Amino acid sequence: MEAERIAFSFISLCLILFLPPLLDGIGRKVKARIQLRQGPSILQTYYDLTTFLSVEPVYPTERLAFRLAPYIAFASAVSAALVLPYGRVIPVSFTGDIFVFLYVLAMVSIAYMVGGFSLNNTYTNTGANREMMMILSIEPILGVAIGTFALNAHTLRIGAIPFALTFTVSVLLAYGLLAYSVYVEGGFIPFDVAEAEQEILEGTFSEYSGYLLGIFKWALMIKRFALLWLLSSFISIPFVRNVANGALILITQLIVLLLLYAGIAVIESMNARLRIDHVIRRNTGVFLCSLAVLLLAALGW
Amino acid sequence: MAVTLKYPFVKLEAPPEYRGIPHIEPRLCIGCGACVNACPADALLKIDDHSTGTRKIVLDVGRCIRCARCDEACPTGAIRMTRNFEVATLDRSDHVEVVELRLHRCPNCGNYTDYTERALEKAFQILPEGLFDKEELRKKAILCRNCRRKLTVDDTIEASREVVG
Amino acid sequence: MKEWARRIMDEKVREKYVNEVVEKFGDRIISVERNADNQWIIEINREDLPEVVGYIVNHPEWKETQLSTMAGADERPLRGKFSLIYWISINGASGDVFLGIKTYIPEDDPRFPAVTPVHPGAHWYEREVKDLLGLIPEGHPDPRRLVLPDDWPEGVYPLRKDFHYTDSPKREFTDETKYPYREPPKGTAVFPLGPYHVALDEPGHFRLFVKGEEIVDVDYRLFYQHRGIEKIGENRLTYDQVNFIAERICGICGTAHALAYAQAVEAAGKIEVPERAEYIRTVMAEIERLHSHMLNLGLACHDIGFDKGFMDAFRIREHVMWLAERLTGNRKTYGMVIIGGVRRDFLEYRRTMIEETLRKLREEFQKWVDQTLSTRTFIKRCEGVGVLSYRDAKRWSSVGPWARGSGRNFDARRDHPFAAYKYLDFKVPVHKEGDVLARCLVRAEEIMESIWIIEQALDEMPGGDILAEWKEIPPYREAVGFTEAPRGEDVHYVMTGEGNRLYRWRIRASTYNNFPSLPDAMRGNTVADAVLIIASLDPCYSCTERVQVVDLEEKRARVLTEKELIELSRKVSRRV
Repeated sequence: MEAERIAFSFISLCLILFLPPLLDGIGRKVKARIQLRQGPSILQTYYDLTTFLSVEPVYPTERLAFRLAPYIAFASAVSAALVLPYGRVIPVSFTGDIFVFLYVLAMVSIAYMVGGFSLNNTYTNTGANREMMMILSIEPILGVAIGTFALNAHTLRIGAIPFALTFTVSVLLAYGLLAYSVYVEGGFIPFDVAEAEQEILEGTFSEYSGYLLGIFKWALMIKRFALLWLLSSFISIPFVRNVANGALILITQLIVLLLLYAGIAVIESMNARLRIDHVIRRNTGVFLCSLAVLLLAALGW
Repeated sequence: MAVTLKYPFVKLEAPPEYRGIPHIEPRLCIGCGACVNACPADALLKIDDHSTGTRKIVLDVGRCIRCARCDEACPTGAIRMTRNFEVATLDRSDHVEVVELRLHRCPNCGNYTDYTERALEKAFQILPEGLFDKEELRKKAILCRNCRRKLTVDDTIEASREVVG
Repeated sequence: MKEWARRIMDEKVREKYVNEVVEKFGDRIISVERNADNQWIIEINREDLPEVVGYIVNHPEWKETQLSTMAGADERPLRGKFSLIYWISINGASGDVFLGIKTYIPEDDPRFPAVTPVHPGAHWYEREVKDLLGLIPEGHPDPRRLVLPDDWPEGVYPLRKDFHYTDSPKREFTDETKYPYREPPKGTAVFPLGPYHVALDEPGHFRLFVKGEEIVDVDYRLFYQHRGIEKIGENRLTYDQVNFIAERICGICGTAHALAYAQAVEAAGKIEVPERAEYIRTVMAEIERLHSHMLNLGLACHDIGFDKGFMDAFRIREHVMWLAERLTGNRKTYGMVIIGGVRRDFLEYRRTMIEETLRKLREEFQKWVDQTLSTRTFIKRCEGVGVLSYRDAKRWSSVGPWARGSGRNFDARRDHPFAAYKYLDFKVPVHKEGDVLARCLVRAEEIMESIWIIEQALDEMPGGDILAEWKEIPPYREAVGFTEAPRGEDVHYVMTGEGNRLYRWRIRASTYNNFPSLPDAMRGNTVADAVLIIASLDPCYSCTERVQVVDLEEKRARVLTEKELIELSRKVSRRV
């Protein structure tokens, strides 16, 4: 049992670190195909990262916050991914880790903001500002969605929830909320306002370079991975939780993840970027709906 | 299906009507300089060296705007637009084509004229048959402007002397 | 000729306008001269400039009248005076007339009353005349530099005839030469956009004064890319050579420029163009419009992150580019138009090629429009954004789709039928909303109209010559040539000179008239929309900014070490 645990933890760590660039590459390829382009190789993101990581950065400021932000983002993103289930194994698990999950996810965004605000640059400031508004408006929805699941599954361990879910009206609605908040928090088009390239030159990233930029981008990819892995676990595990073999569960999770990524690439290419005020308005509406879902869950439906 | 190509790795052919970079065929060039006058971008230069008696027609593709005016102006079809469009290079001198021609030398005074030997030959070639006495014309035409003027004056004086005499 | 064209080109209709001006101002008019078929030059005293120009431009019955171009010239070698000429066009399908209001300015007192207070559309023209010729517009609301670089010395005027085109004055960049940007209004921050910015295709510097993300006001500094084209055209090039430089003023609307120039010289030199050449010119101009509009629609999609629309627009556009390559020998800079006609004929096999391409184009573009307009996020970003009111569009003399999206019913193809447009039927799409979406729709509809125009032109194209012979152009004759470029009316003014050379050449690209109205469209929008609004203007910086002589061998260039550069950047970013 212990051996399986160690093996799965190791595999999960590898997935967390090295799968996200591949997923990104797949997303790029899918988008390229939709636009009738050849597109880059699906390994392109690895090449990009290697390039970034091998270049010495230019520091636009002496502030420590600027240098630390990418590492904080990276560490937070990895820890968020570690509390999720991989097969039957959860690498890090304890009661109350759903709060930790939400907290460290927010930490990635906070690192992005810290990086942006540590400079006297209108572009990074605007990017950080937008990220703040995004996170303030979407994190509650994600919280409510996970809370609803926790209420239903009677556990505060995020990795254990999908193994204990029973389908009720509120849970089904919470799936919708979860999907929405994962999509928005992941910063996919039309919600990539904080990193909008054409408007604000990718916000905070406009001042990062070299390996700092590489680590930052990598961190954001891992964050996306963590979010989507959460969604894919919640979708796949309730259907395969009776399967004894953990590896099969893991493979199901992976397949769902890939499908999600491809699906997202399709949605991304069919949309234009929204403005931050559009996003806030939409998120507020969804948040009000989510309260109703929470009420339903509290009533036991 | 994708419409883009893996371009530098697949060869691309320009259509037959394409105006690519110009190229001078040195065997045909007579160094008349018509292309130099027509070129709006100064991509073509005419450089005469009267001490050595050479004329250089210099084509700099780096300045060329592919308007094909030179192609239209050339009387011999020496300069032609090719279908080549790949001109990127690490060495700027790859863009330069030089045609060197000999200037015509006046047999009388030994000075170089401001046209080339080939241009003179070409002029004789395109002369319509039967209109002029070719041999007589050739005798005069090979002289430089000064000598020709002198010859004309001398001839006139000679003729008037004969009349007077 | 079609009935609609005959109506506006009628002699009586044309003379009505001239007569009214002459009647109104009576003996204050010094002379009236008809210099070309549809062009009159009215000479007045400089004191009367604002009144006369203002009267015509703001005439309540001549609705779409506008200031088409203005040219200053150094006529000291000829008359010992400077001259100014304001070209005003009567539009809105109510008469094919260009009125040139000319005035002379003595050398020892180079001042004139500014027209800008009565018609803001003259804003840039008068600042430019001040920069390049040293004629001072008195009462101009914004006397800052427009064209010349910040460190250009005072009192050196590059377009004067005593300034040789190879001259380059000594320039020094000091704190005093720093451009006097406007102070941000109270409680706002400065959001700098450009000169280098991913979404600006060419350099232009905008200072958005923002409250949060809302744009309160805008200041700008353009003209980063003067290439001294006018000066070179007047000094170094012959009439025919200028045509090719004119074509390269712009990478997108080159044919429009070449055509405008050729038409100006043809009007000045009274050269008759063969009818077949006129048809070919029309087809080329429309082909250019097709690819330019698709480019702009694609870029609008790109600026709001809708890359599917962007890529599709460019893919469809490629059909047009390939077609142009087969017809003329190049994807862009066709090199077709030349004074007196065109250079390549349309052979029969090319005709079938055009028809085939147009069929494909119509089908695929219709699909693109349906797809894009059914993308809700696209509509959401474009609707109600960057509204330019009709009043502002008229006030700034805006042109093209930018103005037609704001309800200005004005199109040089219909109002001043040049080339073969007088033999064809077409609609001019006009939308009244004035937002980004309206401008996109105008462009989309124009693409469909263009396809229809090309089809008609191919059907009705007569045989015959494509190039008229011309020997000599009489010196010191003035005329304007005008085309409807994809971005709007394009006007070239020429004054012919001696020795196969121009005396004065004034290029006015469409963006030149549109740009000053940009702040009006941007106010009240958010930073996120700024680039989209700029893109919907379809700006062409290099067209707009042509005139001055660039100093190639700048001696003050110095290589900074990496450390110095970083330190400098930090300092600058702290200041911003």
